[in-house]
Amino acid sequence: MAEGGPPRGATGTGGGGGLGEKETWELFSNWVCCVCVVTFDLELGQALETVIPSDYKLSDTEKSNICYLAFPDSNSGCMGDTLFHIRIRCTGSGTGGTDLRPTNHHYGAPLVLMPDPAYYYGFVYFRQVKDSDIRRGYFQKSVVLLTRLPYITFFNFIIQRIAPEYFTHGLASLEAACGNMNQWPPPRPGQQLHLPILGQIIYVRLPTKSDKPAARDGEGPVIKKSSSVVVIPSVHDLNLHQALQPVLNNFEMIWELVITNEPIVVMGPSPTLCANTVQALVSLLHPLKYASDFRPFFTIHDSEFKHYTTRTQAPPRVILGVTNPFFTKTLDHWPHVIKLGEISSSNPGTEESRPHQRSRSPGDLSDTRPGVFSRYKPFLQKDKTFARLVISNKTPPGKRPMEVQNVMVKKHALELTTSFIIPLERYLASLMPLKRDVSPWRPPPQLKPFDSELFLKGMEGAGPHLTSRVKGNWTGLYQ
Amino acid sequence: MSGGPYNYSYIFKYIIIGDMGVGKSCLLHQFTEKKFMADCPHTIGVEFGTRIVEVSGQKIKLQIWDTAGQERFRAVTRSYYRGAAGALMVYDITRRSTYNHLSSWLTDARNLTNPNTVIFLIGNKSDLEGQRDVTYQEAKQFADENGLLFMEASAKTGDNVEDVFIETAKKIYQNIQDGNVDLNAADTGVQLKNTTAPADRKQTQQQKQDGCNC
Repeated sequence: MAEGGPPRGATGTGGGGGLGEKETWELFSNWVCCVCVVTFDLELGQALETVIPSDYKLSDTEKSNICYLAFPDSNSGCMGDTLFHIRIRCTGSGTGGTDLRPTNHHYGAPLVLMPDPAYYYGFVYFRQVKDSDIRRGYFQKSVVLLTRLPYITFFNFIIQRIAPEYFTHGLASLEAACGNMNQWPPPRPGQQLHLPILGQIIYVRLPTKSDKPAARDGEGPVIKKSSSVVVIPSVHDLNLHQALQPVLNNFEMIWELVITNEPIVVMGPSPTLCANTVQALVSLLHPLKYASDFRPFFTIHDSEFKHYTTRTQAPPRVILGVTNPFFTKTLDHWPHVIKLGEISSSNPGTEESRPHQRSRSPGDLSDTRPGVFSRYKPFLQKDKTFARLVISNKTPPGKRPMEVQNVMVKKHALELTTSFIIPLERYLASLMPLKRDVSPWRPPPQLKPFDSELFLKGMEGAGPHLTSRVKGNWTGLYQ
Repeated sequence: MSGGPYNYSYIFKYIIIGDMGVGKSCLLHQFTEKKFMADCPHTIGVEFGTRIVEVSGQKIKLQIWDTAGQERFRAVTRSYYRGAAGALMVYDITRRSTYNHLSSWLTDARNLTNPNTVIFLIGNKSDLEGQRDVTYQEAKQFADENGLLFMEASAKTGDNVEDVFIETAKKIYQNIQDGNVDLNAADTGVQLKNTTAPADRKQTQQQKQDGCNC
């Protein structure tokens, strides 16, 4: 219920036609496309057991992708519960819901939080436990929430809230959760929203594009003393420090690889770690949106597996997160590999993360130490102050809380991105026609052509070195 | 912040429980929308509604969870009892079976809420006097024996609907005033306003303390 919203928000039973028109999924579809249950059928393998709303249309390719990506690639290491997210290409019409219709709900949202028309985000909660009543001796099931909204932290919380309830209470609980979501007010940026879900109220505010990076960034959901209320300070902020820990030592280089749209594969021990790291890489460009494809968790069963791993072409300019060791061979022609180790919170292992010069010999490929494997020669130099502050934060006096570390990493990325973009913006602005030349009595003025020589020349007086303390060959990076 | 329609000092969590078809959703709808819903679909799991009321000069936001009466949702709805400050337990005066099941609902309510939760018994459909199947006296006696507040009401005419919600809030507020509810404890179903703005919260707490001292 939106604070300060229309009166119904404060007094209604949920709005949108109220209780009388429950069968329409209009409010639900503002947030979520559908919720699926994927089970392991001994005859069929992974299979879609349930889709809510039941009339939501998924294409066969989408169904197959959901089924395969909803389970970790190698189940053996994933006893208990595993949480991760996936991204799949929309191939169907999605017309079961109303989610494709143009909407102004998102007006004023930052670019990176706009709904993605071409992809689904899937938030997966996988449970694997021993169960002697089942023929194979294991219970294996996933609940997947599909949406087009990249609210990573928010939906990770939602799926953690609804999936365990489903495993305990069955389908009725999932229906109840979806019923709650079908009472939610639209996701309008800048409003304080109160969202009921399974007996709790979530307080959340969606950012607007004019928001300043807030000091509260990067905190996880805060459960208030009263368990009936949960405050989610940010719908999308990740813990960058944690997700990028193995590569913090090469931070500027990683940022360069992302902004220049290089193909990167992230190999990790679990879908959770891979998904978080891939998402963190993409978010390094905020407020810019990473325009290429990225897959937080990718498996050999993905319908685009062949397309993305072919050796007949140069590797596609995408970022993939993988766990299957098979990919070390399949993708050994990829130029940049990030390997993640098991992250233990007690030991922020960074000393291993010296830049490895990746070699083509298979012996080195089986090297499982975390770090970046790349022959890329960065244009920018390392920011030693940043490295010293953030990485060598090990000695007790310098021990900073994780949140602060995270904000520092985020700030550094933001500074790099804005420093990179300001000269471009300034130059582009100079190409625009002057206002006094725009007149109905004259032919439309022409834009001046983008002259890269001229642009680079201008860098000397107005380059990124003015706004960033990171030194190096910025000009080379633009080229 | 002061004086606006969204200004309130407390949030109380309510649940509405009882058999299928006794009119739980209609009571909620009548209370929040001041309208009677003639055709009301079965509740799926739990619905949610809010309204701000005034009790003893204090604005209180009621967060009301309306549970499904269907047996298949029973396990799901049980998890909503936790942290409820008020429980409205509803039966239908024209159907004795809904009255006979009250002890089972009461057991759930007692077991799953805390000792200070205010339980209000509501005999709904009081407009259907001709079809009455449970007398007022009988239900009143049941309520007294079990320490429940009691009223008959009609979601259709709106009779007493306002009162049951507000009387419950009064009783909860009274419990706070008497010091029976620890505002810092979890799961009391009572919150001081503004969990999002710490400064405001402090202020409200200050006001609260002042209020207590005098």
